[in-house]
Amino acid sequence: MALTTAPDRTRRTGPAGTHPAGRGSGRVRHGEGPAGYVFLSPWLIGLMGITAIPMLLSLWLSFTDYDILTPLSEVRWVGLANYERMFTADPAYWHAVRVTLTFALVAVPLKLAAALGVALLLNRAWRGVGLFRALFYLPSLLGGSVALAIVWVNMFNRDGAFNSFLALFGVEGLPWASDPDWALETLMVLAIWQFGAPMVIFLAGLKQIPTDLYEAASVDGAGTWRKFRAVTLPMLSPVIFFNLVLETIHGFQGFTAAFVLSHGTGGPVDSTLMYTLKLYISGFTDLEMGYASAMAWVFLAAIALITAIFFSTGRFWVHYSDGESS
Amino acid sequence: MHPATSPTADTPAGRNHRTPLSRRRFARGLAAVALAVPLVLGAAGCGDDEAGADGPVKLSVFWWGGEARAKLTEDALALYTKKHPEVTFEKTWQANQGYFDKLATLTAGGNPPDLFQIDDNYLAEYAGRSTTLDLTSYRDSGKLDVSKFPKSLWQYGVVDGKLAGLAAGENTQGLVYNKTLLEKNGLPAPTTGMTWEEHIAWAEQVAKKAKVPGTQDPSADYKAFWVWLRQQGKDLYRGQELGFTAEDVTRWFELWQGARDRGATPTPDVIHEGNATDITKQLVVTGKAATSWVWANQMPDLKKNTKDELGVIAYPGDPSAQWARASMYWSVFKGSKHKDVAVDVINFMMNDPEAVALLGTDRGLPSNLDLRAKVSETATDPAMKQSIQVESELAQKFGESPQVPIKGHSKVRSELTKAAENAQYGRATPAEAAAQFVTACKSAIG
Repeated sequence: MALTTAPDRTRRTGPAGTHPAGRGSGRVRHGEGPAGYVFLSPWLIGLMGITAIPMLLSLWLSFTDYDILTPLSEVRWVGLANYERMFTADPAYWHAVRVTLTFALVAVPLKLAAALGVALLLNRAWRGVGLFRALFYLPSLLGGSVALAIVWVNMFNRDGAFNSFLALFGVEGLPWASDPDWALETLMVLAIWQFGAPMVIFLAGLKQIPTDLYEAASVDGAGTWRKFRAVTLPMLSPVIFFNLVLETIHGFQGFTAAFVLSHGTGGPVDSTLMYTLKLYISGFTDLEMGYASAMAWVFLAAIALITAIFFSTGRFWVHYSDGESS
Repeated sequence: MHPATSPTADTPAGRNHRTPLSRRRFARGLAAVALAVPLVLGAAGCGDDEAGADGPVKLSVFWWGGEARAKLTEDALALYTKKHPEVTFEKTWQANQGYFDKLATLTAGGNPPDLFQIDDNYLAEYAGRSTTLDLTSYRDSGKLDVSKFPKSLWQYGVVDGKLAGLAAGENTQGLVYNKTLLEKNGLPAPTTGMTWEEHIAWAEQVAKKAKVPGTQDPSADYKAFWVWLRQQGKDLYRGQELGFTAEDVTRWFELWQGARDRGATPTPDVIHEGNATDITKQLVVTGKAATSWVWANQMPDLKKNTKDELGVIAYPGDPSAQWARASMYWSVFKGSKHKDVAVDVINFMMNDPEAVALLGTDRGLPSNLDLRAKVSETATDPAMKQSIQVESELAQKFGESPQVPIKGHSKVRSELTKAAENAQYGRATPAEAAAQFVTACKSAIG
């Protein structure tokens, strides 16, 4: 979808874009400059006021001992102390890193696999396939909602719906959500279940694959599996890449469900202490906002690094269709 | 505003009244007025009321609690507005979970409430950062009347020599048990003064006979740990240090490991559920244990969540380890524009007979002893009556108040929960969990 069609669209809009310039003169564009900024201003003000300035402020705070309650004018500059403490003196920090990595490494691939699998099933011309698409997408609409997390936690309690279901088969379930060995897995299953968004993107990507490629493959005697490996996967690779990057970032940022399950503590026994939750607890419960800011910046750097790694490996396995056409 | 008042306040100039210099004085006065007008206008623009004490005042008030508390508090504040029509309130309340996150955020955003509820878990954090107004001068001038308060109660709001908050009520630790369940199974009710061993043995009996674990395992509960420590001659804090050692914690964890092994307590996941501070999650009302470790003033609220009859006693061991604790405080934000009014509202809620009657024992026994007696006489809610009776009985046995928990206490609490659960789930031995806990505490308060 977006990634594969983008080059086409630029090509089409390219000549159209030069049209007014050819007819009029540079003077028109001069006059449009300020007006453009005026139209842009709601977004620009939002970007500066809500994103850029607070971000820079938090960068500064990460070098201070800011504790929320003390006015900003009285904070003390502590240099790299927050970063030092994070890396050397806070075992809970590394625990949170481990929890988050485990979560992302398990939940993201499984979620993408589920999304792709269901997308393949729904890509056929069945009767009522539209209804199924909507149904499978439904869980993602509920997104990171608190209500959903509450329901989920109750479903996976000792006397929750899931264990009642297991009881039908004579299996006695565990108190999943309040067992330190299973609480994180409960959250992973919740994340995987919400595969609707990548699924819809996969579906769109599948529809973009020209059917003549499959026909040609059939003529060459390729079976279903071979067609999937040789046609679907390479043709879909930009979309897979897009989903992978997006879902990985998303996975690292998981917060709501962990917060709800643990009442904001990361429990039981820190088993659901996701990075963002640890950050929140440091900032708002322990009143160490300077430290929390430092954590946020390391987090940003880590996500940027992981994304950069994805992009650098992408050229080995991502095939853009326009590469052949140009 | 000083330029505006200077011409009249300037007494030496006043003495020169009849001299021919009056023209110069007139010019000076005019200049002062010219200077002052924009200042006053500017101040009016900021909504300042200190200049004109008679102007309308809108006071923001923030507290945690349930709907019942909200209703009572709103009624009491409405009564204040009735008596002082120029003062109205902007009321915000929410559940305890997340309350302090929000309070901190409001403070950081430069928009803290004028008047807010706080408890001893956070009082030192806020007082230590000068967020709370020092109420000492108001107490000295009698604008904040504590003459009818037990001395130890209002003193439990003093942090570093400053009166950081005024006790909104008095409570103490209370062990709440399910009376109906015990009677149905022909089991004896627990009594104040039982030793910890006796309590655990009793709980084991309950588990065997009633098929419900006899007691919640309170090893993650700082208030139970605190009482137990005081019975060992220790304390939670001594000055800026911990008042206990890793060995003490190990013994505490081992005590409850023994109880779990004997089947006196629920399984770790149920204990974990009961460790939530939420009233509705307490095992005595969810039916998952026969006793819960709470504050005595929470009895009426607990009762609302169960059909069973409840009873309340002191925690096990010598009850003199318990003390008259300020269940919570009212504090005034130091930067409030309406400090005097805010203090007057606190005084009203604590000392006005009508207001105290309205508020009842929701925030604990009324701090004002005269009014407490009156409220006790007129109480109709049986659960409230019972908690008043038990708290009054215990009050005879109370020991000295400990110091208010120090900065970092909230972290100490969450670390205790973590360590205790580590031991409960069998992921660490009591000694390992205790060592972890003490290390974490030292970095939290250091």
